Amino acid sequence: MSDAPNISVAAAPRLRRGGRLFLFYSSAVLLTGFVSMLFADLLWRTGWSASRTVLLVLFIVLFLLTAIGCMHGVYGFFIRIFGTSRRITALKNFKEQDIHAVSTAIIFPIYNEDSMRVLEGLRATYESIERTGQLDRFDFFILSDSTNPDCWIEEERRWSELVCDLDALGKIYYRRRLFSEARKSGNIRDFLNTWGKRYRYFICCDADSVMRGETLVDLVKLMEAHPTVGLIQTVPALVNAESLFGRIQQFANRLYAPVFISGLNYWALDFGNYWGHNAIIRTEPFMQFCDLPQLPGRKPFGGQILSHDFVEAALMLRENWQVWLAYDLEGSYEEAPQSLIENAQRERRWCQGNLQHGLVLFAKGLRGVSRIHLIFGIFGYVASPLWLAFLLTFDWIYCAQKYTGLSDITVQSFNPYLKNWSGTAHALLIFTICMTVIMLPKFLSLLDLARDWPRRTAFGGLHKATISVIGETLFSTLHAPLLMLWHTRSVLTNLAGITVGWTTQKRDADGTSWLYALQRHWGHMLIGLAWGVFNWKLDPGLFWWFTPLLAGLVFSVPLSVLTSRRNVGARAKSLGLFLTPEETKPPLELVSLRSRMKIHHLTEDKSPHFCVHVGLAAAVLDPYVNAVHVSLLREKQLNPVYAEHLRKIGAGTDAVREFGEKLLAGGPGKLKADERMAVLADQGVMVWLHQQAWLRPDEKLAPWWRAMIREFSQRV
Amino acid sequence: MEPALKILPDVSGEIAGRSLEEWNAAYVKVENYFHALRIRNKPLLGQMVLRVLERAQRRAAAEPGRSATELAGEEMDKLVTGWFAEVLQTSPAGTDQMLSTRGRLALLLADMPGKWQDQFLRPGPWPLEFVVAMRESFFRAGPDFQLSKMTPRPLDLGPITTLTNFGKLPYVRMALVWILFALLLVTVFWLTHDGFGRVKDYFQEHFQLLLDWFRQNV
Repeated sequence: MSDAPNISVAAAPRLRRGGRLFLFYSSAVLLTGFVSMLFADLLWRTGWSASRTVLLVLFIVLFLLTAIGCMHGVYGFFIRIFGTSRRITALKNFKEQDIHAVSTAIIFPIYNEDSMRVLEGLRATYESIERTGQLDRFDFFILSDSTNPDCWIEEERRWSELVCDLDALGKIYYRRRLFSEARKSGNIRDFLNTWGKRYRYFICCDADSVMRGETLVDLVKLMEAHPTVGLIQTVPALVNAESLFGRIQQFANRLYAPVFISGLNYWALDFGNYWGHNAIIRTEPFMQFCDLPQLPGRKPFGGQILSHDFVEAALMLRENWQVWLAYDLEGSYEEAPQSLIENAQRERRWCQGNLQHGLVLFAKGLRGVSRIHLIFGIFGYVASPLWLAFLLTFDWIYCAQKYTGLSDITVQSFNPYLKNWSGTAHALLIFTICMTVIMLPKFLSLLDLARDWPRRTAFGGLHKATISVIGETLFSTLHAPLLMLWHTRSVLTNLAGITVGWTTQKRDADGTSWLYALQRHWGHMLIGLAWGVFNWKLDPGLFWWFTPLLAGLVFSVPLSVLTSRRNVGARAKSLGLFLTPEETKPPLELVSLRSRMKIHHLTEDKSPHFCVHVGLAAAVLDPYVNAVHVSLLREKQLNPVYAEHLRKIGAGTDAVREFGEKLLAGGPGKLKADERMAVLADQGVMVWLHQQAWLRPDEKLAPWWRAMIREFSQRV
Repeated sequence: MEPALKILPDVSGEIAGRSLEEWNAAYVKVENYFHALRIRNKPLLGQMVLRVLERAQRRAAAEPGRSATELAGEEMDKLVTGWFAEVLQTSPAGTDQMLSTRGRLALLLADMPGKWQDQFLRPGPWPLEFVVAMRESFFRAGPDFQLSKMTPRPLDLGPITTLTNFGKLPYVRMALVWILFALLLVTVFWLTHDGFGRVKDYFQEHFQLLLDWFRQNV
């Protein structure tokens, strides 16, 4: 690497971080200790038992997690009031850095994504950098792992169009791997092995990422100003949501995240974390230290590391490189799922990866802070079964108390201040404290908004923002039990090594369909109803305590369908609810992205009869798509790794030529999926197919080709 | 530019020994291909198609066994590839099977459909800008390779590694079977030494009330 500095990194000072960690977590532990004592006292008042011990332990764990969350809010709030110099953007005057000799790659790893959206996001980012006048310092790479041939060809087609449109030959590159081993981390490794040494830094984007040019330039300057920093993670703002669910998530992200992340940065400092995208990475140390090994043993813990980002940050930190969170850099965007079910699908994938971190936790040499990040990731999912266990244990104790004939007369509290309180009042006090701890960060976020006039306006005013927070709180109350059951199922099935497949979501024109929601939620409804009846029979008083939880389960179908609707989201927007700064004052990048996406949607033909094997048809029939495709295959031969992969697929062999003949004579239905992929990967056969499809008389072609030629020439 | 189609149907209604329907099919195929190349100017398109058909008709008498579409297809390929060879200054003589691909790519990158439709298939000389755009166009998926090899460093998981490989340890399964057998013996012993009585008492004590409640309420 010509322009890379020598690796010589001093360890970051530990005292300040140690003090902050101690103070931060001690606050959470202190709060947990106090409330746990109150809870233990309550349990003691009704007579101790083994099940009460279980309940208490569960309470302590769950409350500690909640208290840590609350402390993030509290510390973040005060940091935002009083300011801090301990943030990456305040450490040096980085804006003065000269980056004319620095090369940075911006990579978009993709896997069977909507290539239209990916490339329009890339275009918005590209144009934004162009406006900064620093475009020459950046190269763009679309790193495809797509296994669907239609996606593959579509990506190539749209890439070539984009390159021609932007006159970006030699600036925007496209590479598709023939074997997608080790998924996203393998995809990035392949890029680094092929081109990594050309770039001092690389910025990893997600398929739905958009980044502002100034932000990207600032990230490079920050890296230049801090040679001991290995990775800087930005905090992506959720944008472009249209459904009510998406807009609520987006609103929560934009309102609460600044406060929470400020709190996170308080204790993490230069031992931050990596979230897998919208981050800049110093290439050389990453290549040297962050190639992920296989974990010993079998699934779910063993094998390839699925959630690579946390581990890569931990490995970087292990080698004394710093990892920072640039939480005050604006202009980093991503999109979120638009419905509860899509969200649950994503959570399920993440669950598997995070549980696997249970093994990485034991890796020798990792920083303590890295282990904390890993533990948080794990508990993000494990907390759900623990919460369910807490509720079931509570029901069990209530049931046993009532039907074993034991007295339910409580003894006096051990606490002198609660001596005259009834058991119910005592329970209510604990409930109020719990609710306060949960709600306090939200309240502080609102307070933070109230003291910042421009931000307040960007959220549609304090009044509307307050109503939106109330709405968001109601929604998350109903959503929480569903997440609890989904996460519990994911955790249990993952631990059992069972892979539960998801069918592709059946969306109608405007979100989740009623039938699909019923298929996905009938179990939740049933559990909610059964649990409700049980609690009602047990004690109607108890039933009412459970209603928020039960309502989320029983009404999961309408909740899922209605919150996925775009028109409901639009209605809320017209009422000024759940507004975010990117909605009220959209940045240029997002305006450009949205308008281009709208044009695509209005102008592109989505007739279903043209959708079967459309990629194959285009790759064979379209003279330009075929030329681009064949050229890319030809270039692959120059890389020994890809050449070997092509050989493995069978490219250039007589067998593939026979597949080609079969394809022309019988249509794509006559070939298996892997045979079609082999044909698409053979440059010679693709040239021949193009020629033959246009030279042969119709009677020598399968009816499918005749229809495609007709359809195709009308389309272009 | 070669002259347009001159041959008319003979008295039997055929052209060069093929029916009008056959020539119509050939026309449609050639027109579709030029459509696919995004030739949108109708007069130009018509002229190109007729030029191809004329060449096919010239061959038709000598090759009675070939269909009009086949002949037109071959002539179209020859015409287009020959033109690519001239513009790109490459030999058309079958040595470079990628010539057609290169030519089509050059058309795309030079934006022939947008800027240079009038130059397509026209004999030279061509405008310098067009020639430069065609000849200097090259497509690259990436910059020059700088190959390297990342090597993973193994994570030392300490004693936990042994645990993850527990199932692979020798005789573990055998030992597990023995442990299960021992547990079975303990259970049998416990059940035959007043264990049943204790289970019965436990159920009577803890579950009878529950059962009664269920009978009454559910």
